[in-house]
Amino acid sequence: MNNKIKSKKTTGFMKSNYIRAFLKKYKFNYLLGVISLIVVDIAQTRVPIIVGSVIDQIESKNFHMTLISSVIIKLVSISIAIYIGRIAWRFFIFGTGRSIEKDIRNDMFLHLEKMSSRYFQDNTPGEIMAYMTNDLEAVRMVLGPGILFLIDVLAMGTITLYSMIVQIDPLLTLAGVVPLLLIAVSVRIMGRENRKRFRNKQEAFAELSKFVQEQLTGIKVIKSFVQEEKTIDAFERNVKRTYEKNMHLIKIQSLMHPFMQFISGLALAVAIGYGGYITIKQRITLGDFTAFIQYLSMLVWPMVATGMTINIFASGAASLERVESILNEPVEIKDSENLSNIDTLLGSIEVKNLNYKYPNTENQVLKNINFKIEKGQTLGIIGRTGSGKTTLVTLLLRLFDVDKNTVFINGEDLLNIPLKLLRENIGYVPQDNFLFSDTIKNNIDFGVRKGEMDKIIEAAKDSVVHENIIDFKDGYETVVGERGVVLSGGQKQRISIARALIKNPEILILDDSVSAVDTDTEEKILKHLNEKRKGKTNIIIAHRISTIQNSDKIIVLDDGKIVESGTHKELVHKKGLYHSIYEKQLLEKMLEEQK
Amino acid sequence: MIKKNFKNNKKYGNTSYIRLLNYAKPHTMKFIFAILIILFIVVIELYQPVLIGDVVDKFLVHYGIAESNIDTNLNNSNIIGVVKIALVYFASVVAIFLLSYAQAIILSRTGQKIIYNIRMELFNHLIKLPINFFTNNPIGKLVTRVTNDTEALNEMYTSVIVNILKSIFVLLGIVITMITYNFKLSLLTFTVIPFIVIFTFTFEKISKKIHRQIRNKISSINAFISEHVSGMRIVQVFAVEKEIFDKFDNENENLRKEHMKQLFTFSIYNPTNFVLNITAVSILIWFGSKMVLEGTITVGTIVIFQRYISKFFEPIQELAEQLNIVQSAMAASERIFGILDEEPEIKEDSNSIELKSFKGKIEFKNVWFSYKENEWILKDVSFKVNPGENVAFVGATGAGKTTIQNLICRYYDIQKGEILIDDINIKDISLTSLRKNIGQMLQDVFLFSGNVKSNIRLLNENITDEEIIESSKYVNADNFISKLSEVYDTHVIENGAAFSAGQRQLISFARTLVFKPDILILDEATANIDTETEVLIQDALKKLMKGRTTLIVAHRLSTVQNSDKIIVMHKGEIREEGNHQELLSQKGIYYKLYKLQYEQAL
Ligand SMILES: Nc1ncnc2c1ncn2[C@@H]1O[C@H](COP(=O)(O)OP(=O)(O)OP(=O)(O)O)[C@@H](O)[C@H]1O
Ligand SMILES: Nc1ncnc2c1ncn2[C@@H]1O[C@H](COP(=O)(O)OP(=O)(O)OP(=O)(O)O)[C@@H](O)[C@H]1O
Ligand SMILES: [Mg+2]
Repeated sequence: MNNKIKSKKTTGFMKSNYIRAFLKKYKFNYLLGVISLIVVDIAQTRVPIIVGSVIDQIESKNFHMTLISSVIIKLVSISIAIYIGRIAWRFFIFGTGRSIEKDIRNDMFLHLEKMSSRYFQDNTPGEIMAYMTNDLEAVRMVLGPGILFLIDVLAMGTITLYSMIVQIDPLLTLAGVVPLLLIAVSVRIMGRENRKRFRNKQEAFAELSKFVQEQLTGIKVIKSFVQEEKTIDAFERNVKRTYEKNMHLIKIQSLMHPFMQFISGLALAVAIGYGGYITIKQRITLGDFTAFIQYLSMLVWPMVATGMTINIFASGAASLERVESILNEPVEIKDSENLSNIDTLLGSIEVKNLNYKYPNTENQVLKNINFKIEKGQTLGIIGRTGSGKTTLVTLLLRLFDVDKNTVFINGEDLLNIPLKLLRENIGYVPQDNFLFSDTIKNNIDFGVRKGEMDKIIEAAKDSVVHENIIDFKDGYETVVGERGVVLSGGQKQRISIARALIKNPEILILDDSVSAVDTDTEEKILKHLNEKRKGKTNIIIAHRISTIQNSDKIIVLDDGKIVESGTHKELVHKKGLYHSIYEKQLLEKMLEEQK
Repeated sequence: MIKKNFKNNKKYGNTSYIRLLNYAKPHTMKFIFAILIILFIVVIELYQPVLIGDVVDKFLVHYGIAESNIDTNLNNSNIIGVVKIALVYFASVVAIFLLSYAQAIILSRTGQKIIYNIRMELFNHLIKLPINFFTNNPIGKLVTRVTNDTEALNEMYTSVIVNILKSIFVLLGIVITMITYNFKLSLLTFTVIPFIVIFTFTFEKISKKIHRQIRNKISSINAFISEHVSGMRIVQVFAVEKEIFDKFDNENENLRKEHMKQLFTFSIYNPTNFVLNITAVSILIWFGSKMVLEGTITVGTIVIFQRYISKFFEPIQELAEQLNIVQSAMAASERIFGILDEEPEIKEDSNSIELKSFKGKIEFKNVWFSYKENEWILKDVSFKVNPGENVAFVGATGAGKTTIQNLICRYYDIQKGEILIDDINIKDISLTSLRKNIGQMLQDVFLFSGNVKSNIRLLNENITDEEIIESSKYVNADNFISKLSEVYDTHVIENGAAFSAGQRQLISFARTLVFKPDILILDEATANIDTETEVLIQDALKKLMKGRTTLIVAHRLSTVQNSDKIIVMHKGEIREEGNHQELLSQKGIYYKLYKLQYEQAL
């Protein structure tokens, strides 16, 4: 992800179409914000004028206390107007910034939901977290305070410049303003450098976040191998890098403010020298000279604000690129153009000449796979570690995409089946049982979300975990912790089975799903499957012959190829790989018999 | 646990300020230096208008009247004078530039260093917290504390400390000048001060609460992202994208709402200062004009006082802004201190024993244990393993097998009873030597990003490549690793997601063996591995672990039947104990399990 950003040509924050769409959407908010800002600014300039005039009155000693009280009433009402105006612009400008922040974060999450498994292999949760909070904050800074500063700078700057040019010797103005032009040039250069450094800083931050996230996920490994001290050293390297990148950025960002002051100071120095000179030469009057000096000092604030605006915009632009790098990531797995017009899916599966390589790898993981199962049949898959069993079933779920005309479900090309329909009709029990930090009840109900307790209990009973659950103090309301940490391996596995069963799907896929349960329990689960899944298709992956021996069809995978297929009986007679696994699993028992 | 942390927060209050300042203490000199620089800058800035005044007064006044004829000599000397002052002005500009840049860098570097230190301290502490802590706190939240929350302290050190001091100085200066100028008018103007104080305190209270909420919500969002990105595959497979998005939207909206609340408190507080400013001016005009009428003061006094009042509110405004940063830093620091105040892992006696190696005797004496109060997971468990023995644990899932292994490595402390290794209570053995000598292969495999080698040796550089290959051969991992494009240097992504489950297990197995532990603990180490490989591994293990104690947990009885002793667990109790033959003849649980597996296989 990061490499891509570097190579991309940098564009301005406001040039992004994505941002423009938001500005358009919220244009009335911003407009109202600007109006209230202007009202406040104008009202504010009234205050010294009113106070000034009343003081003049007092000086003349020709006044009555009623005049004073009317002036005070005036002042108070103005201040109330300002009060309201300020609340209004904060709400309209800063508040809108917050709304857009939320919109963008939602967009990012929505987009992430469409990303394929490949994407999440390259982009870790730690990094994504940094993008969605840290980078988004920099973008938000532009949309709130950044825009405010920009308006301020533009308004104040133009007004002052305008009156300078119109009212005083244009030549002098030029002499004063030329140094200001320096800014324009240096801004561009500094802005670019600024952005580069900010990007590096954000990258270092994301790296840090990724590192911490990963180490804490693997904390148990760290502890059991006593790697704490060394992990801390590795952490320190990360912290050091963020420190360096931060300082690198700070060196340029904190230059902005003094630099702007410097340039406006420089302009003043020139004005004093040259202005003094032409005053002596009597080309302008002394009054012009002092007025000019005053105008120039009025320019100091807009200048400094310009510096801050540059910082905010440069940072925002760098972060926006990163945010957009997520948003612009192409959706790899989506509904095809010639989508089949079907709204039910039955569970017959046919695979024809399927070859598969994982994206960006050389290794042929599946080679010329062919098989067919009818609706209602059970397919058993067995084979060595790494032989491609999991790959085969994840392809059915379209976690990765196959070629056209290789896989057919219900007679339809897999790629033409609406993605949602496909996944709604498949119940999947993955090999690693990922549970969410929610209650057991909600974890089982994950795919259905109806909260029907009787269905949940039924599924739990079918996967033989009900007894365990009611043993817990909080029963089905027990919160399982992230990834289900408070459960035993077997409990996790069976909850994950229940989560698939409750969907009552046309196709059920069990990937090595009874590996962590004892034989007794396994027996029961298989029995329930047999009863409940009549007429529906099942795919069962296992290492134990006993788990799959009753399947209608068994395929034996080796190194990505189907080396044997048939029923248990047929395969045992074939005296091939299946038979040798069978022998090995049986042999130990035979040995026992002899003892 | 999280809720508990939040309750804890209440008790912090002012101690957080002190703790935060303590981090700045070692840098006191730098802060003083920065303040000196600022004072210097202020002096120069005060001098600048004087320079401009000088230009006018000394050289230009004569040109005020148009067309006055002044001889060229004087003109020339005036020009030289003007240019000189312009140069001096330029020099002052350069000086301010250099000084303010230097000051900014000094403070930023100090701030960054402090954050560096806090991060180190935090991570150092975090990684030593007990496993239980990680069970109860979502990782995303913990990550937020190390990254975002520490970042939020930055401004506290780079701007607050110095600016608050500066504002207070300025404020004091103005108050003193006002009082010396006109006592009565000053008192009248100061009547607004109590209101400022009240407003500020109320504001502080409210904004503190909101800041806490904001920090809280940010970490919730992060936790949500972290968890759901990790489990995105499940979300997609179950086609619940919409529902999960709604949940996210909800979290997101919660954060926005908090931000809007903050915005409103701010927009109410900030202009309040302005209103009070106007009030002060009104008071001045009202009473001032009366006093002018009475002749006690002149109009000039009013004019000057009016200036003072606006000067008086400048530092107050400044302080209010600083206060907000302080609040935000406070909220972040409470969360950081919340972790730092967690009890570190299972307390170690300072005189705990360091052991180079174990003989390998393990004994449980009437051990009672529960994760949560009153839910006993192990009930009066006693057993003994002799050095060099190979002992297997079997039993229904959830019976407590993994728990026993966790207790031996002391991830949790037991409530009753004793656990002894080589006849020493494990509480007296240093955690490091305990875990170093026990090789535990966890049921949940975790691979780090890096390469195959780095996953096997972890961070121990003294493990050679040969040792890595050797142990990979033992577990038959070499077989598939040697087929990878870059063999042992092949890149591994987080979680090892590009390997099959069995391959991950093999790598994790090799990792356990390469450390050559005296006691080996295997929890379902071959659950996802095919039979052929499993048999090979078992043969290798038999040779490798000769004379070393091995504890295994397995559901496939074929893996355990050759053990010296088999312990059958049921609902946290030991039901049967003995070798394969003895247990079969007891015709109990084991016999039943065995028969089941045997029959199935036929
Ligand atoms: N961190 C925890 N907090 C609370 N309860 C826990 C925790 N870890 C495990 N348990 C509970 O303790 C009991 C025993 O779990 P344990 O992991 O020891 O079982 P096990 O015998 O290893 O099972 P399996 O064969 O399924 O791995 C289970 O009921 C489980 O829910
Ligand atoms: N995401 C991926 N990217 C690249 N290669 C992968 C990926 N997932 C798996 N592989 C490779 O594909 C091959 C088949 O893996 P797969 O997970 O399908 O095996 P499996 O038969 O399920 O094994 P196991 O019994 O261990 O679960 C392995 O060599 C593995 O390293
Ligand atoms: Mg697999």
